[in-house]
Amino acid sequence: MAVKVMIPAPLRQFTGGQSSVDVQATTVGDALAALDQHFPGLRDRLVEPDGRLRRFVSVFVNGKDVRTLQGLETPLQEGDEVGIVPAMAGGR
Amino acid sequence: MIELRRADYEAIIAHARREAPRECCGLLAGHGSRVERVYEVPNRADAAAEFFAERGLYPEGKISGLRGPEVLTAERFFMDPEAQFRALRDMEARGLEHIGNYHSHPASPARPSRTDIELAAYWSHVYHLICSLADPEHPDLRAYRIVNGQVTEVPIRIIDEAESGSAVDR
Repeated sequence: MAVKVMIPAPLRQFTGGQSSVDVQATTVGDALAALDQHFPGLRDRLVEPDGRLRRFVSVFVNGKDVRTLQGLETPLQEGDEVGIVPAMAGGR
Repeated sequence: MIELRRADYEAIIAHARREAPRECCGLLAGHGSRVERVYEVPNRADAAAEFFAERGLYPEGKISGLRGPEVLTAERFFMDPEAQFRALRDMEARGLEHIGNYHSHPASPARPSRTDIELAAYWSHVYHLICSLADPEHPDLRAYRIVNGQVTEVPIRIIDEAESGSAVDR
């Protein structure tokens, strides 16, 4: 499936400034692996060594947080849009 | 210098007061240093206990005096990821840039905490605004850049524009 991965501004330093990347993938995990082929090392910023999504990052399929779907196993359809956002947090 | 319309300045303070004693948070969109739109984002620190704990940033409750899960939203913020993502996409659709984030310190000064500084690592390209309600009668809104752990205060210029209202998304 051809899907579009949207790269947020804080991660564009790893994509040479590119704001979206078209990849072939059947799951969200596949899409991140495909992204890593274009930009080696990017996946490690998003996924723990044991394969879980890092806590400070959220990944979306068509605006839905994959943690509320099937995580990195979430299936993708042709034309889906995969979004990535680092957490915005702090306090006191 | 960051430019903020008076209506937007008032909207951020009103948001902080409405959420107190919990911290509020939101995003600022515009062009360059001029804010043109304020997005309120729900604070989901209550669902982010492990996120803070694994960084040694779980709140101790010294400021709020709270114990239990309420301490998380009183002394931390964690933007609701879906709402944060929606706001960022909305900015793009409107041709606006994401130029800032804001949050409140309900009972402490308007200075970035250690937690704020550590967690700003991915957001060095935007302004960080903090609204303190430590003196409830005199809210204190300040802006900063946080780059590689270095904090620099940035002056806020309030713009009075009789004809332009505030654009706040809740």
